[in-house]
Amino acid sequence: MSNGDTRGSLLRWLDERYELSPLLAYMRHKEVPVGAHPMVWYYLGGATLFFFLVQVATGVLLLMYYQPGEATSYESIRYIATKVPFGWLVRAIHCWSAHLMIVSLVIHMFSTMLLKAYRPPRELTWLTGFALFGIALGFGFSGYLLPWNELSFFATSVGTDSVKSVPVIGHWLLLVMRGGEDVTIHTLYRFFAAHVVILPVACFALVGVHLLFIQRQGMAPPLHGASGRKGMPFFPNFALRDLLLWLVCLTGLASLAVLLPYGPSLPGMEWELGAKADPLAPAYPGIKPEWYFLWIYQLLKEFPPHLFGLEGPELCLLVVGLLMGFWAMIPWLDRSARRNRPSPAFTDVGFAAIYFLTFLTLKAADLGVAVVPTTPEETAVVAKVCAAVTIALAAGATMLRVGLYDHDWFVLSTAALVHVALHGLLGWDYLEAGAACAAAAALIVAAGALRRSSSSSPGASS
Amino acid sequence: MTARAAISALLLCMLPVLVGAAEAPDEGGPEFVMTEALQEMLDARDDQDAPIVDEKGRSHFEGLPAHAKALFANAVDGEFIGSADQLGVILSLELDSSRLELVLTNNCLLCHSNPGYQDPPTLFSLDPVAAGSPPYMDLKLILSDTHFRHNLSCAGCHGGDPTGEMDHDHPDEWPAEHDERVDDPKWIPGFCARCHSDVKVMGRFNPGMPTDQFDKYKESHHGRALLEEGNTRAAQCVSCHGVHGIQPASNPASSVNAKRVPETCGKCHADAKLMKDVTLDDGSPMPTDQLDEYRKSVHGRALLEEGDTGAPACNDCHGNHAAAPAEVSSVAQICRTCHARNGTLFDGSRHKEAFEKNEWPECEQCHGNHAIDKTSDAMLATTKGALCADCHDEHASDNPECKKTAAHFRDTILGMAQATKEYASISHGLAERGLDVEPIDDELRSLDDTLKLSRSTIHAFDRSDFDEVAAQGEESARKIRSLVNAAEEEYRERRGGLLIALAFMLLVVLALWLKIRGIEREQAGGD
Amino acid sequence: MSQSLGETRHTRRRFLDLLLGLGAGGWLATVFYPVLRYLTPLPSAGPGGPVKLNPEQVTALAKQSFVIVPALGKRILVFQDAAQKLRALDARCTHEGCTVKFVPGESVIWCACHNGRFDLDGRVISGPPPRPLAQYLAHQDAEGGVVVTPQQA
Repeated sequence: MSNGDTRGSLLRWLDERYELSPLLAYMRHKEVPVGAHPMVWYYLGGATLFFFLVQVATGVLLLMYYQPGEATSYESIRYIATKVPFGWLVRAIHCWSAHLMIVSLVIHMFSTMLLKAYRPPRELTWLTGFALFGIALGFGFSGYLLPWNELSFFATSVGTDSVKSVPVIGHWLLLVMRGGEDVTIHTLYRFFAAHVVILPVACFALVGVHLLFIQRQGMAPPLHGASGRKGMPFFPNFALRDLLLWLVCLTGLASLAVLLPYGPSLPGMEWELGAKADPLAPAYPGIKPEWYFLWIYQLLKEFPPHLFGLEGPELCLLVVGLLMGFWAMIPWLDRSARRNRPSPAFTDVGFAAIYFLTFLTLKAADLGVAVVPTTPEETAVVAKVCAAVTIALAAGATMLRVGLYDHDWFVLSTAALVHVALHGLLGWDYLEAGAACAAAAALIVAAGALRRSSSSSPGASS
Repeated sequence: MTARAAISALLLCMLPVLVGAAEAPDEGGPEFVMTEALQEMLDARDDQDAPIVDEKGRSHFEGLPAHAKALFANAVDGEFIGSADQLGVILSLELDSSRLELVLTNNCLLCHSNPGYQDPPTLFSLDPVAAGSPPYMDLKLILSDTHFRHNLSCAGCHGGDPTGEMDHDHPDEWPAEHDERVDDPKWIPGFCARCHSDVKVMGRFNPGMPTDQFDKYKESHHGRALLEEGNTRAAQCVSCHGVHGIQPASNPASSVNAKRVPETCGKCHADAKLMKDVTLDDGSPMPTDQLDEYRKSVHGRALLEEGDTGAPACNDCHGNHAAAPAEVSSVAQICRTCHARNGTLFDGSRHKEAFEKNEWPECEQCHGNHAIDKTSDAMLATTKGALCADCHDEHASDNPECKKTAAHFRDTILGMAQATKEYASISHGLAERGLDVEPIDDELRSLDDTLKLSRSTIHAFDRSDFDEVAAQGEESARKIRSLVNAAEEEYRERRGGLLIALAFMLLVVLALWLKIRGIEREQAGGD
Repeated sequence: MSQSLGETRHTRRRFLDLLLGLGAGGWLATVFYPVLRYLTPLPSAGPGGPVKLNPEQVTALAKQSFVIVPALGKRILVFQDAAQKLRALDARCTHEGCTVKFVPGESVIWCACHNGRFDLDGRVISGPPPRPLAQYLAHQDAEGGVVVTPQQA
């Protein structure tokens, strides 16, 4: 087999110089766990990486024609999309891949969370992943402004505005982010630097570390189920299957780029170039940030101007900070998982988070009305429709949980759904309903914990 | 003397100077000395013990320079400012010191804004209607009046001496008895003309301003009605310009500003009661629906709703001081100041002769005068009820080709309009699919230009002239069609390219999958 | 007669490898072709850059002293004044958006719709237009072609 010979001699040549054989031997033994749950979840990290690599490639291509500047940002993108050969394709792929990357990333994050891949020794993998999540959102936010069109200008104004509510350094942060008091071309210059250099460098570093951890530790085995089975070799089996998925994703990406070059026409997910930004023009109603920011945008709107002596946005950012902090610390908070025991409470936390985010995102997208709601009655209609949809989806999810996975702990996810019902269907204030449900859930959990600790059998799982 | 002693002596001598310097407020002018009466007014309180001169007024007073304060003191002293209320009203206007000077040295105004001295008919106040005074006795209005601001003040028209003492005889200096003055305004135009027709006088205040208004007025219908026929309802200077709040026409607050002219003219001309017995030259009663019609017209909407001051108001066609209905022969001349091309084309057309023979007012015959509507292609229809068809049936029934020409105009124009709309929607669809529609949109603009030009060229009423212009539309439409086809072709190419890429990708996916299966089979089944 | 199992597998593997190779090669071609076309610069400069008049437009300019050139979504009036100087103004009248033209005999920019007139710098002389026309730069390049810069002067 001549192919093998050539390959073999090349490897030998490299091995002689760089001592690759231990590394190759190590890689040959790497295995991906084959367990009780479908292996599809193991591919999502790779899919996210694929979309990111597509972004890098198309981003470099776009960079060759894009010119940041008051008179050139919008014009150069227009030039790329209309005149440059296949420029429309490069831009369409870049925009689609951005959104698909975040979809893939979110599914990856929730799947690792629900499957408790964060348990020791993989806590740092979880943390670096969390940081990468933030970086991906940063990419989306900074890149969105670069076409300097009406939509992105106003979305950026709204988005950067919330930064001033950070205590102590809020105003300074706003000035640094915007390059001034308002969003101007100087904001674009900074976002450009972030999007093209700062975030990529950080991302490459963190992805490198994240992948290094995975290569060193292997992929996390499932919590339940017999893991006596031999794992699937990473090379060539899993790697080739991963490659297969990448090719399928690429096929989908190319089709979407040609057939829907400006996006699926969903709110927060469309990138027609539109009109050039005019800082003097008033914002048009119904302006929304991109879909992955809709939840925090809606949450900010639910807070009153002042509460508990703090300004509404400040308190909101505090709450979000606490939630994010909790999420980041899950590997340490989930004691059962640390001991490789079943942890139904944290599984339920994951579902609660999904319901929480789903409801807020749908509500921010004004699901249920044809025009942007302006009266409290219209807002109530939106809340009602979103609550109904969320609860319906949750019912389906719960049936799957019970039917397929034998879940039996639903306190927190139910609390999240009751919150949604109280606010959307019964008209309670969002924060009041949330406080009530959180308090009730805390009481139930505390009561359960007390009951467990006072029961005679130690370590009984609920 | 020791050094120490010398220094001490020097300091001792400087002491009084330093003290003196520290004391002097250094205003650099005559100091203002508060009078008791003025202070009393400033501090006065009403029944509820609230200060009559409010906080803002008092701080405004404090901020005034000394000479302005002195003027206040003088006015209070002379009892021209008779009460704290009046003082409060003047301070509440927050006038700067130069304007205050005009007011406080004007005893007429001070006395006539003093409710203690005046009855409602002669009292200036901030809310004349509430005080029972005529609406032109508005204090804010008179202060903004252009004559007042040029320091013509009351005496300029009413006579008298603004610096003089109170004198109950001064109304006698007025030209005529009060009631007669109001009932018979014949004297007004000549009165205003005393200054406004005097070149030397106007040269002192506003050399660029015309001085022929009175001459024009005398020739106008309003002038003839008032001065020759003695119709006291006829408009004179005050009817349009007002009396105490006169502004230059460029000022948006002026009643003769372009955007307010229709409503000013309409004050009389839209009032059926007022216009009773008024007839046109041919004896028929004068209509009073012009303002309504104008408001609905394309000019009215442009001026009043969109603020386009390029659109004509009543005076642009009728004249203002020489107001008269436009003569038949001059209608066309007036319209063509803006609609120049249409006018020129019409002059060269066969309609010109026909219209002249029939003594029809050119543009007005087809387009109306006040109710000029946006032109529509329906006017060209050949069915009964359409403009061209009806007129031709009645007056030119021996020219059947004209109907065919009209039909040709109509078909061509409707075709072009339809094409423009269709291609615009096609362009939009192409843009949504990510194609470059800039060349198409540019050519669409050319097509739209040709459409406008073609509609204008109808006024030549000549088939070949029209065809020459409309041919460009055909050309544009052809170009657009080929550009659209090219764009559709591009889209098909993109889809084709996608299919090819998909084919290879699927091939790779299939082969890879088979390969994976092969490898795994090898790994599993005994090797 | 029948091949051994190993040989069958071998041929099948060879066939699969061929398929994979062909597919991958073809797919790479469909990726590289657009990328290479993308990287090849167009003859005209770029976004917002100078627009060179094509021969048709140059002929029109010579014949009637002006031509309307589309650039960057705008329409630009390029004309030559009495002193043979090349000038460029926005072709869209500021009144109702009709396309203006240059009238060489009167050295004026005229809008046929409502008789609006502009001087050669774009300032309103008479008629209803409320604002002046934006100015652009036009000049002759080294080869005698006419170049218009659609950025405001």
